[in-house]
Amino acid sequence: MALLEIKGLKTRFFTEDGVVHAVNGISYDLEEGGTLGIVGESGCGKTVSVLSVMRLIPEPPGKIVGGEVLFEGRDILKMDPDDVRKVRGNRIAMVFQDPMTSLNPVLTIGRQIDEALELHMGMDKHQARQRTIELLETVGIAEAADRADDYPHQFSGGMRQRVMIAMALSCNPRVLIADEPTTALDVTIQAQIIELVKRLREDIGMAIVWITHDLGIIAGLAERVIVMYAGYIVERASVKDLYGDPRHPYTIGLLGSLPRLDETRKRRLFSMRGLPPDLIDLKPGCPFAPRCDYVIDRCWEETPPLEPVTLGHEIACWVDVKSSQPSKPAN
Amino acid sequence: MARAQSVVEVEKVEQRRRWWEFWRRFSRNKLAVVGLVVVFTMFFTGIFAPWLAPYSYTDQNLDAVEQMPSLAHPLGTDELGRDQLSRVIWGARTAVIIAPTATFFGVSLGLLFGLLAGYYRGWVETVIMRLADILFAFPGILLAILIAATVQGRIEAWLKGFEALEGFVKAGFAQVLVVIVALSAVGWPGMARLVRGQVLSLREEQFVEAAWAIGARPWRVIRHHILPNAMAPIVVSISMSMGGAIVAEAGLSFMGIGIRPPTPSWGALIIDNYSFWRSPAAPVLLWLPALIVGAMVAAFNFVGDGLNEALSPG
Repeated sequence: MALLEIKGLKTRFFTEDGVVHAVNGISYDLEEGGTLGIVGESGCGKTVSVLSVMRLIPEPPGKIVGGEVLFEGRDILKMDPDDVRKVRGNRIAMVFQDPMTSLNPVLTIGRQIDEALELHMGMDKHQARQRTIELLETVGIAEAADRADDYPHQFSGGMRQRVMIAMALSCNPRVLIADEPTTALDVTIQAQIIELVKRLREDIGMAIVWITHDLGIIAGLAERVIVMYAGYIVERASVKDLYGDPRHPYTIGLLGSLPRLDETRKRRLFSMRGLPPDLIDLKPGCPFAPRCDYVIDRCWEETPPLEPVTLGHEIACWVDVKSSQPSKPAN
Repeated sequence: MARAQSVVEVEKVEQRRRWWEFWRRFSRNKLAVVGLVVVFTMFFTGIFAPWLAPYSYTDQNLDAVEQMPSLAHPLGTDELGRDQLSRVIWGARTAVIIAPTATFFGVSLGLLFGLLAGYYRGWVETVIMRLADILFAFPGILLAILIAATVQGRIEAWLKGFEALEGFVKAGFAQVLVVIVALSAVGWPGMARLVRGQVLSLREEQFVEAAWAIGARPWRVIRHHILPNAMAPIVVSISMSMGGAIVAEAGLSFMGIGIRPPTPSWGALIIDNYSFWRSPAAPVLLWLPALIVGAMVAAFNFVGDGLNEALSPG
């Protein structure tokens, strides 16, 4: 049994402008100790999908309208609020995108890490502080005992993200959800944080869901990758297959738009035309059809299901890109 | 190691450092310091009125009415020969009882309603904020008059039912209570709006989301993550509303529905001595109480400004 199993998750936002179809029936699972990457452009439902897993969607306007989230065999979506709180931070922890805003400016770093420990581990102040200092040392904060009494503004962005990771690790979670944790950091700090997470994954043995729009990070970190588009999963494969043999036109476009170090010849970077669809009035058919170079008539009528093309490699596409030529329709 | 055992000690030192830093920033504003001194003087005078006042505020001396200031009566006497200084000092006591209590209840209500509205949104917010809007639509003092005038009799009758409270009722406790009720009732909408606004912006902050993500309960999120970040404007507003409460009490007493004679309040002193506006003793009988009320408002506002500067970052 997988540690975390998501089946047909659907999340909607009921706004004044209409119903936003943010997540449209996605399924995936995460093995004990495994690392899953979720990639996609802004607004494709990456973050909403993981917030739904934690039941952190603000309600209203949001609502999880369907699906199951099985964690250790229990459906989180059916738990009562108290049980969900016992899972949050304790069994499944989260690291957010922007470390500059995810720490409370008026509380010391130490106090904020203590909080989760007091909540879930029933520790008193002294025990919690001991553990906090250990955690800060684990994530590589020098002079942790002194720094624990500092406020967030006395920390740099990279250090704050380390603090967020320390906070997430505090209760030895089974799953760590990292929502673009390096997007707001500069490249050298990014590399440090990724190294840190890799080391911690080995030491603690937790499973990781890593959300990003940076395909490069995923390549070095994850085992399996999900590509999301307009709230759907369009391709799911092992890292090796996804980069070596992408099958969905969207993934092909994404990879083609990246500069590569191993290319000998100068190549024009590919630029995908059009914009992602408006999630309020999602038309029937494949959501990627308007931007797709391989589009056929069927794409406009039926939404393709996620189906295997080879073992462990699934795509949601009516076309086999191997056997068709891109046909650019007149714009 | 010793370092973890001394968490509490470190926190104490840290706290002291923060207070010092706060004071350093507050005292940069000289007017605020002056205001603070005036406010302290008022509280001191009010609290120690029985020991400070040379006479009782009810002692009449009909042989010496409407006197100019003298050594025996530094601020002269009123139409009944009562020592004006003693009445001004006892007036401070009324202010010291009413301003903080009315502010306390007004702020507590506003804080509670503002938190509920901002946090739970939906129909809770609609009901609370529309009610606040309705109260806002009336001039505050008018509403206070309405409340004071309508509930005064009832509160007095109700208090008379408790024999143990007889002494309090005789001492004008019922009127004080009425004024407090009236001022609290008109005071909360402003605070509720302020707090709601703060909560609305803070609940969208990522650190609040992060607090949810570690499994914190609503009350914990409010107490640890929302309230402390909303504290600065709330503290400033509390200081300002104290000044407002003093004026409002003076206004109610001036119109005869607040504190009634013989209990002295600065507002009541103004109306008591109103007929002497052309008398040579008018500066001490009439102008002085008015001046004190004005000075108190200014003082509280200066303190508010100072707090604002000391609490806002940068």
